[in-house]
Formats: sequence, structure tokens, C-alpha cells
Amino acid sequence: MPREAELSLNAREFILQALRENVRLDGRAFDDLRELQLSFGDEYGVADVRLGKTRVLVRISVEVTTPFPDRKFDGIFTISTEFSPMASPAFEVGRPTEAETLLSRLLEKAIRRSSALDTEGLCIIAGLKCFALRADVHVLDHDGGLVDAACIALVAALRHFRRPDVSVEGEKVTVYSIREREPVPLSLLHHPLCVTFSYFNGGEIALVDANLAEEQVSEAEVVVTMNRHGEVCQVAKYGGLPIDALALLNCTNVALAKVQMLDKVIQQRLEEDAKRRDKGGLMAELSAENARANAAIPG
Amino acid sequence: MPAPKTTLNPLRRPDGSATHSQNGYTIIGAVNGPIEVQRRDEIPDEAAIEVNVRPATGVGSPKERRIEQVLTTLLRNIILTHDYPRTLIQLTLQILSTPSTHSTLPSASSLPVLPALINTAYATLLAGSIRLSTTLAAVLVAVPKRFGKGEAVIVDPDPEEGGSELEAVARKGGLHVFAFDGRGEAVLAESEGDFGIEDWEEACEAARGVCCGLQDESPDVMEVEGAKRSMVRGLRELVKGEVEKEGRWRGEG
Amino acid sequence: MSEPTILLPGDTIPPTLLPSPASTKPLTLGPGLRHIPPSTITAALSGPLHTDPRKNALWIENNGGRYIPVAGDLVICSMHHSSVDAYHCVITPYTAPATLPQLAFEGASKKTRPVLAPGALVYARISVAGKHMEPELECVHPGTGKAEGLGPLKGGMVWDVSLGMARRLLLPPGKMREVGGLVLLEALAEKVRFEVAVGRNGRVWVEGGSVGVTLAVGRAVIETDEGGLGVEEQRRLVARVLRGM
Repeated sequence: MPREAELSLNAREFILQALRENVRLDGRAFDDLRELQLSFGDEYGVADVRLGKTRVLVRISVEVTTPFPDRKFDGIFTISTEFSPMASPAFEVGRPTEAETLLSRLLEKAIRRSSALDTEGLCIIAGLKCFALRADVHVLDHDGGLVDAACIALVAALRHFRRPDVSVEGEKVTVYSIREREPVPLSLLHHPLCVTFSYFNGGEIALVDANLAEEQVSEAEVVVTMNRHGEVCQVAKYGGLPIDALALLNCTNVALAKVQMLDKVIQQRLEEDAKRRDKGGLMAELSAENARANAAIPG
Repeated sequence: MPAPKTTLNPLRRPDGSATHSQNGYTIIGAVNGPIEVQRRDEIPDEAAIEVNVRPATGVGSPKERRIEQVLTTLLRNIILTHDYPRTLIQLTLQILSTPSTHSTLPSASSLPVLPALINTAYATLLAGSIRLSTTLAAVLVAVPKRFGKGEAVIVDPDPEEGGSELEAVARKGGLHVFAFDGRGEAVLAESEGDFGIEDWEEACEAARGVCCGLQDESPDVMEVEGAKRSMVRGLRELVKGEVEKEGRWRGEG
Repeated sequence: MSEPTILLPGDTIPPTLLPSPASTKPLTLGPGLRHIPPSTITAALSGPLHTDPRKNALWIENNGGRYIPVAGDLVICSMHHSSVDAYHCVITPYTAPATLPQLAFEGASKKTRPVLAPGALVYARISVAGKHMEPELECVHPGTGKAEGLGPLKGGMVWDVSLGMARRLLLPPGKMREVGGLVLLEALAEKVRFEVAVGRNGRVWVEGGSVGVTLAVGRAVIETDEGGLGVEEQRRLVARVLRGM
């Protein structure tokens, strides 16, 4: 496995010097995100996110299985973040790199442990049958900011996904295909998103959404995960540099604005996609379905 | 049947990349090479070829490993590996979407996805400017079980439209994948199901027609109205489009 | 200009397309072609076929893929590690480093050789290249003993461009406009001072003395490359860049 390509000394020095003069190489302001493109596939639960030159695709899939014996009332939700050499030849199949472990841990905390997904809603018969939901995160093009991009793709895919409808008679479960019954959206309790801050020059300079070159020069990173109501789900910091508490507080303020903006974009794309799919009044049925699903889960 | 669709270089980072849709599958491929090879894989006088096939959901299974092996053997004969000794040519193929009938087909069958993978791999190598000895085109052929004569072979079946049909064939008849090189010679033939030698031969000829077109099809011949483009012809037009895109700056001068 | 024939790998070059069958000069096959003895020439890459009757040469123009080292090419590489008497430099990422002897600099002796830190950029010529060996580099002309612009690159910033763009930027000044369709650097140089070095491996180094100038020039090169800008568009771009400074 070849090692990750390193930045030349000249490039490192130049990037830092430019930052000291308040300039980013791609002309963005320090707290600007790169251009976000979000599109959905023909199937439910496929989200393709491009953040600048970074491209991440998330696909949600579901199958019916038995719940874990110690969690009889919960469905199963797993996030898989296996990197492939597509994103970089330094990623080898079956041997996770540091970046991969980090991404999977941060997503785990951001989405699973923040209870964004109501796993109880995936249970069909307690202790016997439940849905196992799986999110596959595919990194297609890697130019930094993987955590932010993967999180946007994951949340968008979860919001877009529809699981097949089921009916229960005693212990007999019938799973209806998409053609038989309109599938059901997942019940998401909130929509957490990540914003990464990178620190330079002894912590004096903070950037939002650093690209790969900037990431390679940065001294510390802080990931703030929160939803659009400003509820912080996670603050993760790595890299050796100490960060001031006040600076962290400022991070959450900046992150809130970014999260609200991102959330709006996802919402807008979802609505556009729903319109595209709405052929001949199917929407009416769907919204009835929505009302029922929402009524079942208060909040 | 929706015509196979290919885009070159959708990705920025790899040396070459391509997306390709066929038979309801969409696949993105990326190639890096020639790059440094690990000692244990190094071959003194030719390039090592690594193919990674990644399913749309889940991690790779023995099924993907088998497909990888088929592809590696096939590509080794197409890539001029002796031009890149002691290096690695690393190809990754990521399945992006599968037809909705994918799950109803017999699960062991790797044939429906194979033509799309082969054609993606070839387009990716072209985009990555890897030296190649010839062209490559692959197609899926379904031969229904003949109870009476007169049932035709289905070339490049569309799993979305004729889903149940393909399913029935997969269960009762024969499924074949053929790949042809630039001279119209079959370089890969994989079959499964229930079929006789005549069925196989007919399927092979039908596949050759779609992949390579008529024997005397030269690049200068005008497109005959109504006649289907062969896949090699499609490849040529794809490259032409790419060359025009790259040479935009010449437009004004 | 007649439209060049688009070739795919495996296509045989018909004898009618060969530049001058009667030429006394030996036929030269450029990139993308392959000779199969006794007298068949086939394509190995895809792209338009170009011929030069004067040199009795033919080649396929292809801008994709990874840079393959060729002797005589100028490249910008970064120092990876040093050994007793040589520096090992990376020409393209993820490939085996090329050797740059520590004495292959202008006026270098055991005591006066330049000291390079890992990651330092070097502008060098490939002296030896072949598919069976790691390439060798030099920063001095073997005949004259002069650097001729080669050597360590201090400061500045390096950008990645397409291989086609690198080739166009390396055309001699007289031909750059006519053949390469480039007026960008000339037009910029009329108003601002900057140094530029172009590596055949798809890298452009710019030093403008200040962050602003370096960045403006670098970004203009990238924009011209990615957007495929023609001569007029380049002039407009230059006007815009200069206004911004």
C-alpha cells in the first residue's frame, strides 16, 4: 500500500502564509462552506453529496431479521464506512486507516448515539422480528471534509428512505413490496449535522470546511454536531493543540448557522425530489401515510 | 432497451474514472496506475493488476471475489502489462445502483451485473490512458427455454421492463455473458442455467452483433437509419466527444 | 485543418495515414502507438492521430492518465528522503521515487551541494528513464555544467494542472500562442512580475513575491485549464485578475 501523498514544504508554507493574510487558496471566507450539491437516486434512500470536489454516496438498505436478545424492542441500525482505493490509493481494502476509524466513530456518535433514528420504530414483533437498517457510506472522491459530507449524505439518505410496509397477524409478518403498498418513511427524532473547524497558527486561525490541502496543514480539528434547534449532540476534538473554551463556544454559534443552512438545503432537495416522484396524485396517499406515521410517534 | 450510457472522468482524484449504466446497473470505476506495488505482489516483467468490486450494499462477499478474479484474468489480456513492469494498476469498481429485480434473481448469479462491470472497467482504463491492446465490449444474453421453436434470444435485457421475463429465463433457461475484443473474437464467455449447444451458439452470434457490429463497419461509414449502433462504435463516439471537450480552447484561435 | 482520425486501442494505422512513406528519415512512433513486427502499427491509447511529415513522426494526442517519465522532460518533484549520495524525489504521488544525485547541481561538490529538506520542491530534468528502472534526475546541463534554471524551488506555490496544459505551457514562447492557444502568462507578465516553472508531470510553480500575486497567477492558470478557455477568454480573465489586484 503506497503512503498518502504529502504536501510539499512550499505548499504548506504558502497555505499558512496566505491564511495569516486572511486568504484561502480557493478564495472562500474563513467560515464559508464549499458549494454543496445534493441529489437523490431513483431508489429510496440513496443520497449523493458533493462538497466541493469531495463526493460521498450513502445508500440505505433494510432487511427483516431477529432483534438482539438484550434489546427486544429495538430494531438494528448499522453504519458501514469502508473506504475503497477509489478515494485514494492509500486506502487498502480490509485495513482501516486512521481517517476511516475516525469517520466511523464520529458518525456513530453523531447519528446513532444521539438517537436521531428511533430504533424502536423498526421493531415489528418484540423479541422476534425487526428491521435491520444499514447505511453504506461510499467515499468516491476525497478532497477533505469527509465527516461533514458523509453526515449530510447520511441524514439526507435517512430522510429520503422509505421502508416497506408490514402487517402483523399474530406471529405472521407480511412484508409488502413497493408495488403492493406505499412504503413508509423512517421516524427520525431530529436531524443532526456535523461542522468541522480546523485550527492553524497556534489556534489563532479557525477555518470551516477545510479541503484536503488545508487539512494536511492544520494543527487541530473540532467537530461540532448539532441539529437545527441548536441542540449540541457531540463536540469532538483531535490534534494536539489546546483550544480555548470561549473559542469552542464560538464554534457552536457558527455551527448553528451552518447547520440551519444545510438543513434547509436538504429539506428543499427532498421536496423537489418528492415532486419529481409525484406522478398522478400518489402524493395524496403518501401524505396520508405520513400523517399516520407521525401520529404514532409523538414529538 | 435503454442504450448503455457512459461518462468519462466524473471524478477528480483518480488517474482515470468512468460511470456506466447497463441492464439497470450503474457503476462507477476509478483507476490509479501505474503506481508503486507492494513487494509481495511485484512481478518482475509486467504490471500487477488489482481489481476491487464493491457492492452497493454491504461489504464484499465471495461472489464479488469471484467476479474480481474473472475481471483480473480478462483485463490482464487487454492491458499491455509488459509496458509497466514492477508497478500496480489498481482498478476499483463501485456498484452505485441495482435494478429493483436484483434481489429477486437467483442470489448466486453474478452474470447480470458482469457486462456492466466489464464495460465500466474498460471505459475507466481508457479514461486513465492505460496502454491497451484492443477494445472490449460485453453484453448479457438471455435464452428462454425452448418448448417450441420460435422463441428468440434476448440480447441486453432490461431488468426493469422485462423483469419477470428475465427472472423466468434465469430460472428456466440460460443466461450468458460474452465479451469481444476489437477483432470480434470472444474473450470471455460465462454461462449458467439450462441450455444446449445450439442455444449457446446463437446467443454468441447475437452478442457479437451487438458488441462489434457488422464486420465491415468502418468509422467512416455513415450511420444507417434504424440500424443499432454497435458498442465499439459507441465507444468511438464517446472518445470523440471527450477529445472535443478537451480541445475547447482551440475553438476561438 | 482536416479532422484527425479518432483511434481506439487495437486500431491498425492504415499505410495511407503514415506521413511520408518515401522519406529517408526513419519513421518515429510517438506516445500511444505500438509497433508489431514486421510492419503493423496499432494504437494503444484512444485519441486523435497526429502526424508530422517533416519529422516523419506520428503520435496519438492524449491528455488523460498519469504522467509517465520520459528522458529529457522537465518535471517539478518533491524531495522524499535522502541517502548517502542522492536525493530521492517523487514525480507523481504513489510511485517509486526517482534518484537525484547530490552532485547533479550547478557547481556542486561534496562541500557545496544544496541541502534539501523532505518535502522541498525541485525543478529537474529527467536524465534517464525506462520502464524497467526508476528514473534518474539532474539539475545541471551535462554539457555546459550550468543549471539553466533548474534546481531547488524556493517559496511560491505549486498547482496541479492537466498533462495537456503542462505540455502547452512548455511550448517555446514563439509557438505558445500559435500552437498552444495560450496568451495568459504573456498578458499577465505585461502588468505584474512573477516567476513560473512548469513540470511536464502536470505541476506549475508560481512565485509572485506576495501571496496576492502568486495566488492570482496560479488561480488564473487553473481556471484556464479547467475551463478550456480560448485566447479571447484568457484576455478577459487577465483583465479581471488585474482589476482584482
